[in-house]
Amino acid sequence: MIRERGIFGQLLKREIRSRFIGSATGWIWLVVTPLLLLGVYAFVFGVIFRARVPEGFELPFWAWLAVALWPWLAFSEGLQRAAASIQQHAALISKVAVPRHLLVNTSVCAVFVLHAIGFVVVLLAVQGLAADIQWLAVPYVLMILAMLYVFALGLGFFLAAVQVFVRDVEQLLPTALMFWFFLTPIIYPIELLPEGARGLLALNPMTWWVEELRLALFSGKSIPDQTFLFMVVVSFTCLLIGRAVFNRLSPHFEDFL
Amino acid sequence: MSRLLLRLNQIEKTYPPTINPGERFGAFWQLLTRGHSQGGTQVISDVSFDIHAGQSMAIVGGNGAGKSTLLKVITGVLAPSAGSIQQSGSVAALLELGAGFDPDYTGLDNLKLNAAFLGLSPADVEEKLDDILAFADIGDSIDEPVKHYSSGMVVRLGFAVVASVRPDLLITDEVLAVGDESFQKKCIRWIEGYLESGGTLLMVSHNMYQVQKLCRHALWLHDGRARAQGDVFDVTQAYLAWHERRDAEDATRQQGHSSANHYGITELSIGADGEGEKRLAMGDELTVTLLLRSPDGRAPVALIGVVRADGTPVYGVASDHDGVSSQGTSEGGFQVQLRFPALSLLPGGYAIRGHAMDPEGLRIHDTAEVPFTVVGRSRELGLVRLEHEWLS
Repeated sequence: MIRERGIFGQLLKREIRSRFIGSATGWIWLVVTPLLLLGVYAFVFGVIFRARVPEGFELPFWAWLAVALWPWLAFSEGLQRAAASIQQHAALISKVAVPRHLLVNTSVCAVFVLHAIGFVVVLLAVQGLAADIQWLAVPYVLMILAMLYVFALGLGFFLAAVQVFVRDVEQLLPTALMFWFFLTPIIYPIELLPEGARGLLALNPMTWWVEELRLALFSGKSIPDQTFLFMVVVSFTCLLIGRAVFNRLSPHFEDFL
Repeated sequence: MSRLLLRLNQIEKTYPPTINPGERFGAFWQLLTRGHSQGGTQVISDVSFDIHAGQSMAIVGGNGAGKSTLLKVITGVLAPSAGSIQQSGSVAALLELGAGFDPDYTGLDNLKLNAAFLGLSPADVEEKLDDILAFADIGDSIDEPVKHYSSGMVVRLGFAVVASVRPDLLITDEVLAVGDESFQKKCIRWIEGYLESGGTLLMVSHNMYQVQKLCRHALWLHDGRARAQGDVFDVTQAYLAWHERRDAEDATRQQGHSSANHYGITELSIGADGEGEKRLAMGDELTVTLLLRSPDGRAPVALIGVVRADGTPVYGVASDHDGVSSQGTSEGGFQVQLRFPALSLLPGGYAIRGHAMDPEGLRIHDTAEVPFTVVGRSRELGLVRLEHEWLS
């Protein structure tokens, strides 16, 4: 356990530094790139398509979009990094008996740590420019984000293991994630959809996370209820299955890398 | 018996077919549903051995014999296809040059990650850093990216980290060969000290001298199977003898045979016990009997020599050198016998070569060869033991 913690620490440090090695201003891009993305979405959907925040929220569209966009970015980037993590460390795996689950875990963890920094910056910006953040709900927000991490980790384990054998995952994943992005009410309010479609959208777990985060941050919802219970069940089921598949396949990774 | 550190039980390793996507997907599905896959290339079959604390074992074998694969299986980099591995205690492995080193990071960063792999906490690393750097002795290069390192520097750093850990079981592949003379000596000294203080070693090497010096046991791996296993001297000598013989066979195949000769050899035999491969101990007596034939009734000259199994001459003497002539036998042939009272050959594979020469002793007309193996426990170098005494 001590050994694994030591390796985890070193790998995480390396994973985070690898983003910035050779780029002098890496830390700035970390925040600037998502901000530009936010700018584009806010312009296209808020200005051109005139998307409006749903009833009950008194705030500009961009702020409403921003608090859901960052968790989504962490989630989707985490999945992509995790899926590639085994292949990315092929040289290491083929020579050192490194606990392989740590490679997936550090990939996801690094993404979440980096986007957490961006998220804090965004929340401060929203507070300063647009609307009041319900800071008392922060503990609940952290719990929601922790579940998002577990969810991403579970899917990440599964994808990483499968990608070693079936390289098509690498090609399919970005498209699948884009699809998922548009099927999640991030850039549009769920109320925009007809009644029947809303029920379907509620089957998408990411809908719960996005909606719950907005409720917590803007309406001050700070007591976990049934929705959170769903999150916990789905996340941990996902982690159990993902880890089981990963553990079953991981001894054979080296043969297929 | 001391503590069991490692037990291999009928290990097999098959590399699955991974060329086309269909096969990959098939293997993926089989592994997921059944836990094993079919087909592929078998590289290791039925290897078993135990290593107890304080033992030292070498794995020898030709290229492609499966040595490195076996080490990877033992260290857990590869999963065995069948069989089981039991392990206890800490293990450190130096498998390949620069294993676990990322070329883009500095020596120090790589050192820290490698130390973490070996179970050192960041505090341990801080504490041992000076020792590690002193052992590696690569100076300020420690802050350079590893891609700027020479292969020797990479090995220095890798070995220094392992040396600082002092694992229960140390596993090394042929990595030390890269370091320069002085660093190799430093490593050997360290390993000797490590073994003396109760350390356990499992190494792969092509350097038989190093193997005999450091190890007490050996395993000869041939085409993925254990061809010989046991005492280091027995195994390495058998292994070397096999090599020398194979080289010699290649050589004779190229030369071809010239058997239609005037004066010929009927039989060449040596007086050592046993059927098949003749074995004798260092210092034993060896008697050579050579039966010759002659087309004209004149006694041919016999030339008898000792060569190493690869054909390197060690010693040769002809009957006419010593004024001896071959004796006629009842069957109309001729016979000579030569006795070496105390054979001073060092352990290894050799052959007695008999030649039939014309009575003038000018031309060799026929040649025969009988291989034999000298066994013994000696670390002396070369072919023969020379009379010597230390003056001190």
